[in-house]
Amino acid sequence: MATIKKLLFLVDKPPYKSENSRLALTHAIASQTVEIHLEDEDNVEPVLAFVGDGVLNCIKGQKALDAYGITSLEAHIKNALLLDLKVIFCKEDLDKFGLTEDNVIMDAEDIGGDMIANILPFADILGEMEAADHILHF
Amino acid sequence: MKLGVFVNQYTKTNSTLDRIKTDNLGIILVQNGVYHAALKENGKDSDILSKAAKVYALSEDVISRGLSPDKLDKKVTVVDYNGLVDVIFNDYEKFIWL
Repeated sequence: MATIKKLLFLVDKPPYKSENSRLALTHAIASQTVEIHLEDEDNVEPVLAFVGDGVLNCIKGQKALDAYGITSLEAHIKNALLLDLKVIFCKEDLDKFGLTEDNVIMDAEDIGGDMIANILPFADILGEMEAADHILHF
Repeated sequence: MKLGVFVNQYTKTNSTLDRIKTDNLGIILVQNGVYHAALKENGKDSDILSKAAKVYALSEDVISRGLSPDKLDKKVTVVDYNGLVDVIFNDYEKFIWL
């Protein structure tokens, strides 16, 4: 019988000062490759949720490559969307910072992605936490 | 005393900074500290901006985070790395990181 393990990567740290959010994104993306080590039909389903100060990772127009010489968290979020990961931003926390879907990375159309990010209330993120087999906090 | 204070975190309270009293205080927002200059959490400016101090923000840290130097609070002077060196050498005698 196929077993799908749901992994929730929960990010509540802002970008760049620490490696937390970068690690969350790279781990979430990398977790998809684990299927090569699993039995047929077994798999993992990573979900990325940004809450609290973590929603600051999602602001559009990051120029970390120009200023720091490193890939931006924006590029990583778009890669996650390109690979069809479910990406969620907490609505209450976006509202708190005055951010709307116009300011945040909602899609990866420019690199060919079809997946759209979700802006959801914290209650729905709590639902994702309940549904997850493992929660990884960054 | 001419004191420059580097703030590199986005935290809601900074009890040491709150208690510093000096005639010539400069607050230099770097790394995640630049969010103090850009965000209005629940519609309110950061408390740091209400202090009797000259406030700077490092442009490289601003643009890296997807923030626009043009949209920072009017009280904040945006400086690049070269400008920050000038501030350090010309405007303050001592510095601390908080």
